[in-house]
Amino acid sequence: MSSDQDHLKETDTEARFEFKKEQNSSFQTEKGLTEETVRVISEDKDEPEWMLQRRLRALKQFQEMPMPTDWPGQPDLSEVDVNEIVPYIRPDVETRGSVDDWTDLPDDIKDTFDKLGIPEAEKNALSGVGAQYESEVVYQNMQERWQEKGVVFMNMDQAVQEHEDIVKEYFMTKCVPPSDNKFAALHGAIWSGGSFVYVPEDTTVDMPVQAYFRMNSEGMGQFEHTLIVAEEGSEVHYIEGCSAPKYSAFNLHSGGVEVFVGEDAHVQYSTVQNWSKNTYNLNTKRAIVEKNGRMEWISGSMGSKATMLYPATILKGRGASDNHITIAFAGEGQNIDTGAKVYHNAPDTKSTIESKSISKDGGRTNYRGLVHISEGAENSSTAVECDALMFDNESTSDTMPYMEINESTVDVAHEATVGKIGDEDIFYLQSRGLDDDDAKQMIVSGFIEPITEELPIEYAVELNRLVELEMEGSLG
Amino acid sequence: MSAQLPASLSEETVREISEGRDEPEWLLETRLNALEALETVDLPDVIQTPGRRWTNLEALDFEDLVDPLNQSDETERVTDEGVHVLPFTEAFDEFGDVLEENFGQTVAPESNYLTALSTALFTTGTFIYVPEGVDAKDVKVRAEMNSKSLFSHTLVVTEDSSSVTILERIESGGSTEGDRYFSNLVEIATGENSYVQYGSLQNLDDDTYHYTLKRGDADVYGTINWIEGNMGSRLTRSDVETELNGDSSETQIVGAFFGHEDQHLDLNARVWHQAENTTADLVTRGVLDDEARSVYEGVQDVGRDAWNTSSYQRENTLMLSDESEADASPKLIIHNHDTEASHSATVGQVDKEDLFYMTSRSVPERTARNMLVEGFFVPVLDEIAVDEFREDLEELISARLR
Repeated sequence: MSSDQDHLKETDTEARFEFKKEQNSSFQTEKGLTEETVRVISEDKDEPEWMLQRRLRALKQFQEMPMPTDWPGQPDLSEVDVNEIVPYIRPDVETRGSVDDWTDLPDDIKDTFDKLGIPEAEKNALSGVGAQYESEVVYQNMQERWQEKGVVFMNMDQAVQEHEDIVKEYFMTKCVPPSDNKFAALHGAIWSGGSFVYVPEDTTVDMPVQAYFRMNSEGMGQFEHTLIVAEEGSEVHYIEGCSAPKYSAFNLHSGGVEVFVGEDAHVQYSTVQNWSKNTYNLNTKRAIVEKNGRMEWISGSMGSKATMLYPATILKGRGASDNHITIAFAGEGQNIDTGAKVYHNAPDTKSTIESKSISKDGGRTNYRGLVHISEGAENSSTAVECDALMFDNESTSDTMPYMEINESTVDVAHEATVGKIGDEDIFYLQSRGLDDDDAKQMIVSGFIEPITEELPIEYAVELNRLVELEMEGSLG
Repeated sequence: MSAQLPASLSEETVREISEGRDEPEWLLETRLNALEALETVDLPDVIQTPGRRWTNLEALDFEDLVDPLNQSDETERVTDEGVHVLPFTEAFDEFGDVLEENFGQTVAPESNYLTALSTALFTTGTFIYVPEGVDAKDVKVRAEMNSKSLFSHTLVVTEDSSSVTILERIESGGSTEGDRYFSNLVEIATGENSYVQYGSLQNLDDDTYHYTLKRGDADVYGTINWIEGNMGSRLTRSDVETELNGDSSETQIVGAFFGHEDQHLDLNARVWHQAENTTADLVTRGVLDDEARSVYEGVQDVGRDAWNTSSYQRENTLMLSDESEADASPKLIIHNHDTEASHSATVGQVDKEDLFYMTSRSVPERTARNMLVEGFFVPVLDEIAVDEFREDLEELISARLR
């Protein structure tokens, strides 16, 4: 690890995540959600008519759809009242859109992201970075050598203007239509900011592209949209980080992620989210994978009051494959309902799901998964493994996998285990001179290692540090 | 969702059934309350995933299926020394108090529409009473359904330190025109340190819709073991459940099913760990051929006070045809960390290499496949301690393979 990377390990993560800024926005919509709000957002972004129409259609669908209430054991969403959230806040950045020089950012925003360690990470290991503050991307940069190859990484609002054809074709049309669920519809109506990544044919972006999302204002909603299009034979790794400080009112995060993995292409999507513990995190993330393409989802879900998130992959072409690696940590008052969905819609498709969860101090984790093997998806195989670690009898850990198998020539396996931290393991470590807390910490680090080893070092360090803080009970 | 109340159903119907059986007032009351509940209670929950319900119970046409006053069955009961095995009607005089105390306690009549319907209308069933200290073997109940609809209720009460093995076999008798409905409720209330093994083998004909809810309440040091074999019927909805309410109680739920043609089997095994040091083991294996479909849910629910729980679940399905469908949802719900729990589920086909190996040894392909299917059931058959029951099940499996 270079000394520049060390700062991520050493920076006080608690201070990094918990500081808040005074609200200083140039424009914000009224609380609540009406057609007027949607028109104002669209107009403020100077969007083409078709996007406004898509937003209005999504709004209508949102208004017609019921809240999800009848899922067994689902988190309580009764507090989520969209009339109480501010759907759109444009931070005060002099230039319209984003700046591409870090020093051009207003001091308070710069300071925020400096504390989060964004610019250092960019210098060290990333091919590009975007930073979203409230509803808009405030900083965006892409290393020149990638730009020359035709790789596009820009904020989504800008992409609507500059890559209208691609966006018009892919934006909430085939992957995540607004009709998918109530919060996808909400997202479709009032989305703002996010990332657009386009990788041309046979291009390998061998350094990760990163976006960081930060909610700072009280009682706001963040609705960023991420669209990744990886053409045939290309490869890209996209990393997303999220955080928000804690306020008394609830926050709502309802992002949308759409990934298109072309033939023989490979996309890895990694995320470590640490929303504050009053945030409802209700995302829709989905990938469509063509022939022999490969999709990988790596997720760490640490923060939020309630999370309902099930990244989904549709294996559309023969030989397509998918890997999911997820970890959830629920402490006091948290309900993390997360899992994975995979649709095997073509022959010779493969998927693996590895899910780990830790619950502590009354926290609740749930693995909710769906594996669907369509008729005709012969020679498909899937393996699902869920492990839950629990600290006390105030906590809850559930596993609710669903498997729908319509084809006989398949290999489907699901396994789940739940257990407490082994007394013997702790005794062993204590007898080697570690105290109880350090021993537990070490066991948890070992438990989540399959996840951390998939992440770039900065993220692995951050995830470990977050887990440490959760274990100490010193975070929010 | 609530189903329509059949026109043939009224308070008079229920009174007529109850009076015809010379029942005590409390049972008539229980029936009438169940009838009333039909207006408000829902059909049993079925699993839903985006865009589909896994079993369509709403499609059951109770108007057509239920003919409450023309129920007919032939039930043979074989008892063992010291155990009381009686039709309800013969038990009211001698065991009235035991019946009243236990009836509807383990399976609440108002649990859902189908339990309420069954409680209001049942005309057959068995009361099994094992007094303290009695060790009984092989109580047999062989029931034959001879009417359009039949509602059965079985109540097993075991006192402290007693044991019993009960084998139930359900078949269709003389043929009746059209679709039929068979409803079978079984409740087991146990005393401390008592052992109950309840095996059930269902081989109804393929015009029959079948609902069964079997639930046991295990007391301290008690054991309730279930064997649930489902071979027949057009549609079966089976719920086999144990509440481990006493410290150090145990349960095993062993399931075997074999669906063919267009059979639909919705099979559920559920355990609630409510006390300390409890153990559960759920093992199910099934085979699907033709257009048959299985829906499996297994639930291991560990309560807040269930310290030192051990809970295991395995479910394996073998698919013999591309037109069949196997859906599974093995659920873990854990509220206490002092738990060792695991579940696993697999779906696969007959192993091609095994098949190749056998055919290369000149075993005809069909025979080889059948041998592999029979072999697939062995881990479940091995769990069945009762020879006669195991042999019956083996026979039904091999008959289906011919």
